[in-house]
Formats: sequence, C-alpha cells, structure tokens
Amino acid sequence: MRLLTFLLTLMPLAATAQTAGWGNLGQTEDKGFSWTAPLWPSFWMAWTPATLLVFIGIFTAMGILTVLEIRRPGGDERQGVLGLTTTRGDRLFITLLGTSYIFMAWLGLIGMPLWWPLAISIGWGVFCFWKV
Amino acid sequence: MRKVNQKAWFFVLPVLILVAFNALVPMMTVVNYSVQETFGNNQFFWHGLGWFQDILRSERFHAALGRQFLFTFLILIIEVPLGVIIALSMPRKGFWVPVCLVTMALPMLIPWNVVGAMWNIFTLPDIGLLGYFMNHVLGIDYNMTRSPLAAWVTIITMDVWHWTSLVVLLCYAGLVSIPDAYYQAAKIDGASNWAVFRYIQLPKMKQVLTIAVLLRFMDSFNIYTEPFVLTGGGPGNSTTLLSIDLVKIALGQFDLGPAAAMSLIYFAITLFVSWLFYTLMTRHDVK
Repeated sequence: MRLLTFLLTLMPLAATAQTAGWGNLGQTEDKGFSWTAPLWPSFWMAWTPATLLVFIGIFTAMGILTVLEIRRPGGDERQGVLGLTTTRGDRLFITLLGTSYIFMAWLGLIGMPLWWPLAISIGWGVFCFWKV
Repeated sequence: MRKVNQKAWFFVLPVLILVAFNALVPMMTVVNYSVQETFGNNQFFWHGLGWFQDILRSERFHAALGRQFLFTFLILIIEVPLGVIIALSMPRKGFWVPVCLVTMALPMLIPWNVVGAMWNIFTLPDIGLLGYFMNHVLGIDYNMTRSPLAAWVTIITMDVWHWTSLVVLLCYAGLVSIPDAYYQAAKIDGASNWAVFRYIQLPKMKQVLTIAVLLRFMDSFNIYTEPFVLTGGGPGNSTTLLSIDLVKIALGQFDLGPAAAMSLIYFAITLFVSWLFYTLMTRHDVK
C-alpha cells in the first residue's frame, strides 16, 4: 500500500519529465540545417535541400540560356569537334546527359567516393561548351 | 534583323502546365525518392547514391536490361523492314486504298491490355486457335506458359502484329508524298526497281522512318502492359522486361528507393539512345 502511494506520487513527476524532454530519448536531436534532412516532412514529394539544389541548378541553367537566347538569338549554332551541329541548349543537354553517364559508370565500375567523376564531369562540361 | 512576334508561345502554356503535372513533378519526386529510403508513412531517410550503385551492380538489373535490349532489337529488326515492304506493296490509288489503310490501322486501335488478353487466349494450348493448331495439328510442343522460347516467340509476334502498322502507315505517308515526276524520270533513265527504292523512295521515307524507328524504340523499350498481361514476366523470369521488373520492385516489394534509382537509369538509357538515333539520322540534313 505504501509502495502504491509512492508510485502514485511519482506519476505526475513522470508526466512532467515526459513533457520536459525525457520522452525524446533515443530520437535524433534537431541539429539545425542539414542538406540531407527532409525539407518539408509532411509533403509527399520528399524534397531534401540537396535534391532541390540540383533542380534549382538545372532550371537556373535553362533560365540563363533563355536570357542569352533573347539577347543573342540563333543559339550560337556551330559545328563542333564531334561533327554535330549544336546550339547552346544542345551543349547543355549533352553536358547533363554525359554527366549522368560518367557518374553511373563510376558508381557501377569503381564505387563510392565520387570526387573523381565530379572532376571528370566538370571537365566534360567545359569541353562541351568549348569544343562540341 | 526581322522582328518576329513571339506571343504565339503563350498558346503553348496550357500544355506546358499539363506536362509539368504529369511528367515534371512525378519526375522530380522520383529523383527525390532515389536518394532516400522509406518504410512508408511518408517518412524518408537519406541514403545518398547507394541505390544507384546497388542497381548498377545487380545481376537482376543486368539480366532485365539484356532482355529489354534483345526484345527491342528483335522487334525493330522485324517491324521496320516488314513495315517498309508492306507500305511499298500497298496500292497508291483507287478503291483498295481506304480498305488497306483501315485494315492496317485496326490493331493499333486495340488497347494494350486487350491485346495481351487476346494473345493469351489465342495461344492457349488447348482452347486457343493458335495454341491448339500448333500442338494438336502440327504437333509442335508450343506452350508459352512453360517454355521460355515459346513465350519469347509469342511476345515478339504480338508486338509485330500490334505495331508494324505504325511503321506501315508512316512509310505509306512518306511514299504517297513522292511526286509522279520522280518515277517518270526514273523510268526514262531505265532505273531498276531496286534503284527506284534506293534513290527515290528510301530518301523520301527517311524522315518518317526516323520518326517510326524512334517511336518504336521508345514504345518497345518502355513496354509493360502487353507482356505483363500475356506472360506476367514468366515462365520464371524469362520475359521480365525492364518495366515489369521495375513495377515488381516498386509496387511488389515497395522498395521505392531502388525502384526510383532504377527508373532514372532506365530513363537515362532511353534518353541517350533516342538522342543518338535522332542525331545520327538527322545530322546529314543540316549540311
């Protein structure tokens, strides 16, 4: 009986502890901004800052191309070293497609640290806009 | 420089919005899924590019990809020449033109799942017309639910039946657009049938053939419904093409991350091959 009263007196204490943060034990702490954490947790598209940045990058590139096209129409068409007649848009497309293949090849054949394919991709992009 | 009124571009806006919602938004979602892991309940955990690595190294993916390329290669190598031959032998004028055109268009009017179901029943060994004929009249052991070879023959035949018409109609459209003067000139020069085909008809059909090959490549590379209804990917995994495997991973196993990674790899392959076809087939026109 005495034990029971003791336990009963503990109950509000336990409730207070729960609200004070003991109930969060074992859960990850909020560390502030993270590139890889869900951006809007309840939204179905599952955005993360990292993936959002990728798309912002692509759309920015397309926006820049649009501005360039308005300023200097004609798409800066030329025949490059691959024998293809390309415009600025084609070169961006070839850059992005090539980049995805460089990364896939590296992932499939070699593996994880992806700094080398990143460097190769940047080189490929420079090559595309310069020569192709 | 001539000033061009660009306001007509606003007419494209509705379709742009439509495409945004049925292609771009799902596509972006797939990209998001492909770098995360989920156990449902709309909770996602970062996984990086690990799924891509897993898929690119998985035997199962390699096998499905190999089957997919084999399927697409086989149907292209059958349908394109066959379509050209049929288009060449169709009449250009008179009563039989609409008859031929409508007959050709009929298979394409049938929905994919119905085509699958039709061929399923058609090839059943005991009650299907083809299946019964093969097994009980010709005495060939033909059972597409048991033998991988029979299953492959059936899906290829089904696709040829369903889609050769597309190549035929496109080539026919190219052929009827050739003015009679070309043929008359060829006749005066005493050109053989082959020369007429090689130097008049084929160059004139090039544009439409490019479209035909592109459409047939993309459609066959993304084919799902017909083989799914016909064989369900079986027997075993022998007709599990990429899309069937993808749906198995995404909806069967509910592995959204790997499925998303796989669909992006799939997309990259389709995009690259389509781009390559298009670039190679149109590069000489520009010059």
